[in-house]
Amino acid sequence: MIEILILIVLLIISLIIVIKSADVFVDNLVDIGGALGISQIILGVTAAAIGTSLPEFGSAVIASLSGSVDIGVGTVIGSNIWNIAGILGISAIAAGIIRTDSSGINRDGLMTLATGIILIFFMLFGDINWIVSVVMIALYIFYLWRLIKSQKEYKEGKIKEELTYESLEKKPIDKKKIGFVILGLAGLIVGCRILVYSGVELARIAGIPEMIMGLFTLAIGTSIPELVVTLSSAMKGLHELSIGTVLGSNTFNILIGIGIPALFIDIPVEKLSLTFDAPVMIFVTVLLLLLVKRSGKLTRNGGIILLATYISYAAIRLTVLV
Amino acid sequence: MYEKILVATMGEYMDEILEHTWDTIHGRETEVIGLYVVDTSVPFLTPKKVKEMMTEELTERGNEILDKMEQEFQSPSLYMINFRKLLLEGDPAEEIVKTAENEEVDLIILGSGKTRIDKRLLGSVSEKVIHSAPCTVLLVRTDTKK
Repeated sequence: MIEILILIVLLIISLIIVIKSADVFVDNLVDIGGALGISQIILGVTAAAIGTSLPEFGSAVIASLSGSVDIGVGTVIGSNIWNIAGILGISAIAAGIIRTDSSGINRDGLMTLATGIILIFFMLFGDINWIVSVVMIALYIFYLWRLIKSQKEYKEGKIKEELTYESLEKKPIDKKKIGFVILGLAGLIVGCRILVYSGVELARIAGIPEMIMGLFTLAIGTSIPELVVTLSSAMKGLHELSIGTVLGSNTFNILIGIGIPALFIDIPVEKLSLTFDAPVMIFVTVLLLLLVKRSGKLTRNGGIILLATYISYAAIRLTVLV
Repeated sequence: MYEKILVATMGEYMDEILEHTWDTIHGRETEVIGLYVVDTSVPFLTPKKVKEMMTEELTERGNEILDKMEQEFQSPSLYMINFRKLLLEGDPAEEIVKTAENEEVDLIILGSGKTRIDKRLLGSVSEKVIHSAPCTVLLVRTDTKK
């Protein structure tokens, strides 16, 4: 009993370390990028896209490289289901409404759906190997390029006269920031290692599969940044940021969260992931797209439908399909 | 009766709020302060860069809303109104009350249109303002179905 309690405390502490370290890492890296003359648009888009997803990514990489591949894949797929059905569901219920603009939902929503289908397609052929990994990473770079391009067009349209090359000016790099980047990275690696360890050990003691641990505990835990960002931006009326955070994170989770570990080791495909978890991930994405397509907004009722879908999924997965 | 009025808005119910403001002024010489508060509060574990993005976006929106408000007050028929805009950062209710105190306004005008469920889930700025306002408050009840 004491062992379980210690592991739960360890899990919570490591989660906070991971999330805070990811924040410190991205924050200082963006500042260094700015000092090196990289465009603020590129930095902003990249920081927003990967900032909230680093905990999932770190956990998936560390889990896969330390031999707990199931927990890694589980964290990624579980996060994607939770992000849409859980986080967007809760946010829509709390905020009452989340509006979507058609170009954003077309680009990010369809990309999220496409990456899910691509993942299932590759899973059908067995292990996810380095060839698939290269395709996934290339796809993500393409997606990031599209994001940067659309952000540039948006800014150009909005403030033409302000579009100068001021952001390309090089400034001296603050050495402290380099230190913080290293500290953030170290915290991320150590935190993820402890997180995965406590997750694996808890699964072993409780006698539950590692996949379940990844799908629920680690997936929900590492998605805390998405939850706070999506919920608070929905409540402040920043709808685009709210839905964009979830969709961007889901694309990143699959293409990079599975893509990078697959560069180093073959990721085995568990049968239930292929036949149940991944299809549920596609289903909730399609459900979200259908819910927002008609009126261009996710209503409170839509949120209830999404959350109910997540609860049903969790109930079936934890009781029937263990 | 009211020489200095604080009109607080988050962008919603703008038309109704302005209509009530003009009706209250009723052609008298009045100083009006248009206030938008950028809500900078974020939950624990929100990434710093995302917080900065949120503040930037809300500031942009606030400036747009205040510009629109200023335009409305520039009508020749409202010559007697001396309008100025104010954009602040912080907790909306606290900043509205603080501004009312510092500027010694006679009246605060703000809108309220949330449903009971929304008030429970999102909280209500107007309710907080009413409880600690240093002056009279005109709460413009708006159509919640909009």
